[in-house]
Formats: sequence, structure tokens, C-alpha cells
Amino acid sequence: MKTKEETQAERFFYAVTQRYKLILTLSVIFIAGAITFLPSMTKDTTTEAFIPKDDPVLLYRDNVRETFGLKDPMVIAVYNESGIYNTETLRLIHELGERLKTVEGIDPDQLTSLATENNITGTFDGMLVEPFYEIENLNDSTASIVRDAIADFDLYRGSLISEDGTMALVVAEILDSHDDKGDEIYKAIVELTEETNTTNELLYVAGEGAVSGYMATYIDADAQRLNPIAGLVITLILFVAFRTLRGVVIPNIMVLATVGSALGAMAGFGVSFFVITNALPVILIAIGVADGIHIMGQYYEEVAHNPGLSQRKLVILTMTKMWRPVTITSLTTIAGFLAISYTSYMPPMTYFGIFAAFGVSVALVYALFFIPSALMLLKPQVSKPMKDAVKSDAFGNLTSKLGKVVVSSPRRVVGVAALTMLLAIYGATKITVNESRISNFKSTESIAVADDVINAKTDGTTYLDIKIETKDIEGLFQPHALRKIEALQQHLEDHPLVNGSTSIVDFVKKMNKSLNENRDEFYVIPNDEILIAQYFLIYSTGGDPTDFDNYVDFDYRLANVRVRMSQSEYVDEKVVQEAAQKYIEEHFNDEQITANLSGKVALDYQWINQLANNHSKGVLLALLAVLIVASLSFRSLRAGVYTVIPVIFGVAIIYGVMGFAGVWLSVGTSMFAAIAIGVGVDFAVHTVDRMIFFINEEKLDIDTAFKAFYKTTGRALLFNVLALSLGFGVLITSSVPPLLRFGALVAVSVSAGFAASITVLPAIIYLLKPKFLRIKDKRTDTASIKKGELDLVA
Amino acid sequence: MKNLKNQIGKSAVILLGILIALIRPFASGSQSLPSGMEIATKTDIRNDGENVSRKLTMELIDKRGKSRTRETKTFRKYFGKERRTAIFYETPSNVKGTAFLVYDYPDVNEDDDQWLYLPALRKTRRISASNRGDYFLGTDFTYEDIKLESKLSVEDYTYKTVGKEMIDGKETYVVVGLPVDKETEKELGYSKIKAWVDAENWMIRKGEFWDVAGNHLKTTYIKDIKQVQNIWTALTVQVKNHKTGHKTNFTFSEVDYTTVIDDDFFTQQTLVRGL
Repeated sequence: MKTKEETQAERFFYAVTQRYKLILTLSVIFIAGAITFLPSMTKDTTTEAFIPKDDPVLLYRDNVRETFGLKDPMVIAVYNESGIYNTETLRLIHELGERLKTVEGIDPDQLTSLATENNITGTFDGMLVEPFYEIENLNDSTASIVRDAIADFDLYRGSLISEDGTMALVVAEILDSHDDKGDEIYKAIVELTEETNTTNELLYVAGEGAVSGYMATYIDADAQRLNPIAGLVITLILFVAFRTLRGVVIPNIMVLATVGSALGAMAGFGVSFFVITNALPVILIAIGVADGIHIMGQYYEEVAHNPGLSQRKLVILTMTKMWRPVTITSLTTIAGFLAISYTSYMPPMTYFGIFAAFGVSVALVYALFFIPSALMLLKPQVSKPMKDAVKSDAFGNLTSKLGKVVVSSPRRVVGVAALTMLLAIYGATKITVNESRISNFKSTESIAVADDVINAKTDGTTYLDIKIETKDIEGLFQPHALRKIEALQQHLEDHPLVNGSTSIVDFVKKMNKSLNENRDEFYVIPNDEILIAQYFLIYSTGGDPTDFDNYVDFDYRLANVRVRMSQSEYVDEKVVQEAAQKYIEEHFNDEQITANLSGKVALDYQWINQLANNHSKGVLLALLAVLIVASLSFRSLRAGVYTVIPVIFGVAIIYGVMGFAGVWLSVGTSMFAAIAIGVGVDFAVHTVDRMIFFINEEKLDIDTAFKAFYKTTGRALLFNVLALSLGFGVLITSSVPPLLRFGALVAVSVSAGFAASITVLPAIIYLLKPKFLRIKDKRTDTASIKKGELDLVA
Repeated sequence: MKNLKNQIGKSAVILLGILIALIRPFASGSQSLPSGMEIATKTDIRNDGENVSRKLTMELIDKRGKSRTRETKTFRKYFGKERRTAIFYETPSNVKGTAFLVYDYPDVNEDDDQWLYLPALRKTRRISASNRGDYFLGTDFTYEDIKLESKLSVEDYTYKTVGKEMIDGKETYVVVGLPVDKETEKELGYSKIKAWVDAENWMIRKGEFWDVAGNHLKTTYIKDIKQVQNIWTALTVQVKNHKTGHKTNFTFSEVDYTTVIDDDFFTQQTLVRGL
């Protein structure tokens, strides 16, 4: 007897199979259409892309940057073990600067090095503002004069030259017009350093501009190399599963349609390809393949059971059974992604959720229309491993054996799962929220080595910028204001994570000393506003009008204090940010002068904090969305709850593994929960749906139903998990840390979702016999269940 | 030796230029335009007074349009080929009394001497000898720009006349100058200049400058050109730096070429004493 639903479904697929040519034509046109948008895809590799454009912290950072002309620098470090104060090294510093000016995209006017900066020195009768050295007059004695000059100029010690005098930095900035070309400029600079002949010097290229500019390309390059290999491995497993051409081609066309349409839509809507967008094809491949595996598996099952049926009948039979799980897996996945998208703070993640949901919708449409239509083109075909209606292949046997274990000791299964879950939750409590862009590079990568060396030698390349605001024009000539800034700098420099800081105060003190016969006791802020004003006038006789641009604004009302640290991890930035904020609120701000935090440190603080705050909210909401959609789909809240169990398990395992393995919850890894939910729910839906099918519709008793489930659905799920975990396991071979983590954790999450769906979930069903399953066990002897003596496989 | 030859060569060119300029008076309406060097020489030998005193208002404007105005009294006198300048700040009040003295020697290889008197410090301080391409007192003019004062240097550039144009309703010759050698280019900070020279009084009306990397650097406008005590005088000079967005406006008033300034005026004592 057929249910009403089945009759409707049959009618529907009758209609679909009738119009298969039209559907195939439309399917091809759609894919082709979506793909035509792809060339217009833009890439956004900037870090700023991860922060909403209207975020006040980002706006404030941009304002501070604009006011003081600050940018993320590209840095060449010149290291000479025996010191840089010799003719040869100083000449090299000069030459590197000159050659940097010719690199396309480098601002030739914003170069900072020992060869470009002005020294302020006191003489017996005056003050000199002149370059530290002129290349024309360079000799060993001028080199030692430069050494003395730097020793006497706090501002540059640590920031431009290492305290021990073995490293000098040449700092360049990228022109606004080349902001998105950071990777090319980085490579050009690396090339430049490689072509430079040195004898005693080592050259390193790093800096925040280089790191963030090169990072995306670095990750993209490996992702684009490995993603196709993942596709190949998946195809191989599809072949092992079905050993037919169509069993391989049809799921691959599904993948093409979903990935093509999602990326095509992104390009069409002008949404950029971000670093994390690399995960989008992965998730869509997972879903496209899953739909394909389940439908094709069912098809071959039908062929084995119904020899002699026409292809059309076989297709209708297959689709009548598979439309529901395929639809429900898609709807629950869409719900999960939209929930994550809705709660995410980071625009790339929001877009990720939206376009992943879109891709999954396309996958659903293709599963319901394209697959039956494509099969209509072909004749009935037997899949070798699935040719026997009763016997199964090695894989089917494997899952069947697993079924026996579950059924014979369901309590043990649940017990083990509960323990694993507890352990995972314990592991999850050990997770640290952290982010460090440089750690995205392999530690032996030259940029990571350079970053290490530079941070070890100098005051560091991680900046906290503090914007000082005074009430009136020329407010910064007030000794009161300058003393406050000096105290703030002193306080922060005492912090163990802070290596140094620079501000206009350093110049004022230096000028005061210089104009007082270079006497050390005058290295203080003079107590006279007018004198300070005149110092700046005297400086202008020798310096450039733009010399102080990075420190004060034109009106001498705003100042920037740059605090340097060598740790670039969020956990360290957070400590410094909070210490600075506390000091400012308690000791700094008054009616005349106020301070606000900005720079990379403040930006990371805002960004990663938001990530930490929104992440768990997003995951919970996604679970809730999955629960609601599953409940509605199965028309049972209980069925919904059962569906969510393996998902929660998978998510817990992910966090547990992250906690134990010391993998940070960071921008990249915050994707994993979404993937665990999106993919995990598919396994759970198939289990619940098939249970409903076998028990409620086929009216099988529980033992027979379980047997059938493990033989068919179990086998399909096994191939599903093999395809995905081995496919993405390929990424583990990547030398790029985030990809390696990604591959490993996707494999873990998919496996956990699979394991839970095929062991824990059936075990619980077996034990609790939930009401949504109309289980009519002949041996409904509660006592025997309690004893766990069930032996269903006779 | 080679240097000497160069010097002689340079001097010969200059002499020749002067001779041509003097012997062949400019014939209006003639088809051929005067050569670049002729035009440069005409500007160079233009009378700009043996000495001059005047009020100079310097307005510095940053790229956001914020401005800072400083009023000064300035004095300049030739001591043979040496040029001495004294500048006394009158406003704003926090720099009032600050005074600046420069001895500019004719030999470009000899560093000039500069002193600044800071009233708040009650001391005169010798300050760094400036390079010719250094910016002058926080303005967008270089020391060399200030020194030339609406003249073209006949020593530093080779010129080519490229046409005639109307500027502010006056006919001007357009000349393009290229530094004579790399060293000069680096010293001046310009790889090319272009000047619009008034065909009647040999005052420059407009200038364009390119930096050593070939980027368009600055544009200057010379306005309000009047005869003061029979000497052609620019009362307004504006410069815009295209790279930094900065602007500087110089406005001259109370220009006086006739009152003789004492030689003793250009001393450190005068700086301290003030006006």
C-alpha cells in the first residue's frame, strides 16, 4: 500500500522523467550561465575585509591612519652580525632604499631608513637638523658618527635600528592605488633582495603589509593546488563505490553545478573571494557528492531488487524513496548556514553562509530534477558491488557488522559515546581564542623567519596606536599635554609585552637637549609653551614640512603615540590593549586632553573579541535552526531532537580535538563548526529518514529494519564519509598550516558526524524506541531489552 | 682638472648667453623665438634691487585646507655676489621675536651660514647649513626657490624654448629646463622645470616642477606683478605641492628698495635686539 505522499511523489517524478530533455537542457544552460560570471570574480585579500566597513573601530583606525599618514609597512631588515655601522652596510641601506623606490606600487616619498631620516644634534652654539649620513661623504669615520648619533636618539633606537646595532630596517609603504597588490609587491621586494649582493649582511623581508598582503596568496595557492586533488580522490572513491561511469560522472556534475552557481552568484553580486571562501567549494563538494552517493546508491539498490524494470520506473522508484532525505538534508543545511551567516560579525563569513546556502539550494534542485533526468538518458545498469539484492559487498558487510555491534550492545555504544562527548567537552573548555596572521605561514617560510628575526631584534612590528586629542589648536605645545603623553609612554613601556614607543615628545626632548649644548639634564620637556613652539620653528629650518606628519597633525592638536610589541598574537594584544585602556581611563583623560586606542592591536582586539562573542551564539543558533527545520520536515519535534544529537556530537568532537591539540579558535578555525553542522546533519538526516522509511513505511520490525539500514544506508554513508574524509584528508599534506588544520578537522568532523549517525543515533533509537517511529517489535519484552539480550541477526 | 674645465665651460656658456641677450634685443613679431638660454639670462640679469625690505606673510595650508599664517619682516642685501637675508617673525605670538639670518655664499659648494634667535631661549643658535633642495622654514619652497626669487638659474639648467602662451593676459615664453648633470638634479630635487616667462618684463609668471623620479611635484603661480620704485616686483607667490597636497602662499607688502639697509644690520646682534 502506498501512502498519499508516495503517490504524489511518484506523480511528480513521472512528470520530471517525462520532461527530462528540457530539464537537461536547462541544467546545462544554468551551469554555463553561472560559469560565465566567474571571470568577473574579484579577490579581496585584505585583513580589513573581515571587519564590517561601518565598524566604529575600523572607521577610527582609518581616521587615525589618514590623520598621521600611517600604513602597514613592507620592511627589509639588514642584519650584520658584527654591526651595521660600517661603510659597506650603510651604503647597502642607502642602496636598498633607492632600489625600493623603483618597485612598482611603493611610495617613493614614504621611505624610512637610516639613510632617509634626519638627525637632530646639539652643537656648542646651535642645533643641526641633517640626514644621519650622506652617501657621498660616507667613510669609516662618518659611520662611527652615525653610531654615536643613533646611540643619542631614543626615538630610532629599537624602532629603526636594533638596540645592539646589528640590524637596520628599511621601511616602505604601499601606494593607496596598489593596496590590493600586496603579494606582488612583496614578491618584487624579495626578488630585489635576492639580486642584491651582500658580503656580511643578511636581508629579511617582512612587515605587516607584507604579511597580510602575501598571506591570502600563500593560502590560495596551496588551496587551489590541493582542492582539485581532493576532487580527484573523491571521484576515485565514487568509482570504488559504484564501479560505473555514471556513478562517478553524475555526482561530479552535481559538484560542478553547486560550486559553479555559488561562486558565479558571488561574482554576479560583486562579492569578493576572501581567504575563507576557499572552504566554500569544499563544503559544496561535500554536499553535492552526498546527494549523488545517496541517490545513485538507491538507484543501484533498486536495479538489484527489481531486475527487468524499465529505466523510467527505476528512476521514479529511486526518487520516490530519496527525495525526502535529500530535501531534508538540504533544508537543514541551509538553515544551519543561514543561522551562521546571520550571527556572524565578519562579512566574509556572512557571505559564506549566504552563498553556501544558495549552493546547497542549487544542489537540491539538481538532485530532484537533474539526476533523474540524466538517468533517463541511460539504460538500466547494474553496479557490480551492489548487484546482489541480498548479499552485499565487503563495504556493505562492514557496515552490517557494525550494525550487529550496535544492536547487540547499544548501551555500551551510548556509554562510550557519552564518555567521548564528556572528554570532548572537557577538551573544548581548553580552547583559546587567538589569532596571529604570521602563524598562517609555515614556520620555515622566509616571511615567517624574517618576522621572527625582526621581532627578536627590534621593538617589534605589532603596533598599538594611541591618538591623543587636545582641546585647542597648538594644544600639544602645552607642557601639561606633553607630560601626560610622556607618562603614558613610560607606563606602557614598563609593561613586559611592550618593547618601546615613539611620539612627538621624543622630538621635543631631543630638541631641548640639542639646543642646550647637548646636556643630558635637558633631555626633558621644557616648562614653557612658547619655547616648545619655537623649537618646532627652528626644526623647520632644516627638516622637511612632512617630517612630523606621522606624529602630529598640522594644527599640533592631535598626536599619535605608537607603541611597539614583538608578539603579534591576539592573546598578547588583548593584555596590552586592556592595560592601555585602563590607564587612559584612570590617569590620562581630562578636560584638556584625551586618548583613544587604534592601530593593529586595537583592530585585532575588536575583531577577535567579536569573533569570540558571536561564535558560540552562531553555533547555538545554527543548531536551533537545524532542530526546527528537521522537526518540521519530519513533522515531529522528537525526530528533530534525534537528528540534532549526532550534529552536537560532531561539533563537540571538533572543539574537543581543537582544545586538546591546542588549535586556536581563530578566524579560519571558526569555520569548522559550520562545516561540522552542515555536513554532520546530512548523516543524521539520512539515518532518521531511513529509520522512518523502513519502520513506518515499509513496516519492517526493528531488527529487520536495522539490518536493512546498515546494509544500504550504512554503506552509502560509509562511502559518503570515505569520500569526504579522504578527499579533504589530502589537505593534510599541505605545508600551509591553516589548510592542514582545515583538512584534518574537516576529516575529524565528518567522521565524527558519520560515527554518531551510524552508531550512537541508532543505539539510542534502539534503546528508547521513540514515538515518531511506530516500532512494532514482536518481542516487545521490556525485560529482555533491559537485559540487552537482543539478538536480532538470526 | 675636469672640474675646472667644466667650470670654464659653464662660465663660457653663461657669458655667451649674456652677450646674446644684450646684443640681440628681442624683436617682437619675429618668427623665431628667443633661445631658452637667452630667456633665462634675461631673467637672471633682471634688476631686483641692491637691497630690499618688506613685509612677508607666509600662509601654510595642509592638504585638508587647514592653514597657519606667519607674518614677518624681511630684509635682503647683496654683498657683492653674497646675499644676506634676515627674517623677523611678528605673529603668531608664540614665535614673535624669533629671527632668522642667512649668509648665502656665491660658491654653491660653500655651505651657507644660518642662525636663529629664539626669544624663549634668549639665545641665538646656529642651525644646519641647508642644501639647496631643502624646504625653507616649513614652506613648500626650497632654499633655492627662495634665493632665485622669480629668476631662472643660468648655471643649473639647460633650457629649451617650447612655445608662447598667454598667462594672466600677458604673453609669456614657455621654457623647459633640465639640470646640467645628475649631481645638480639631486641637489635641487628637480629633474625638470618648466617656466612661463613674461615676454615684456622677464618675470616668471608660472612654474612647474618635477621630482627626481619624474613625478609632477609642484606648481607655482606668481601674481600681482607690479613695478615698485621702478623694479618689477611680485607681490603674491603661490606654490602647491602635488605630492603632499600642501600649499604655501607668500604675500609681500610695504616693499622698499630705496631705503639703504646698513651692512651691520645683518648680524647676530640685530637678531637678538630685534626690530
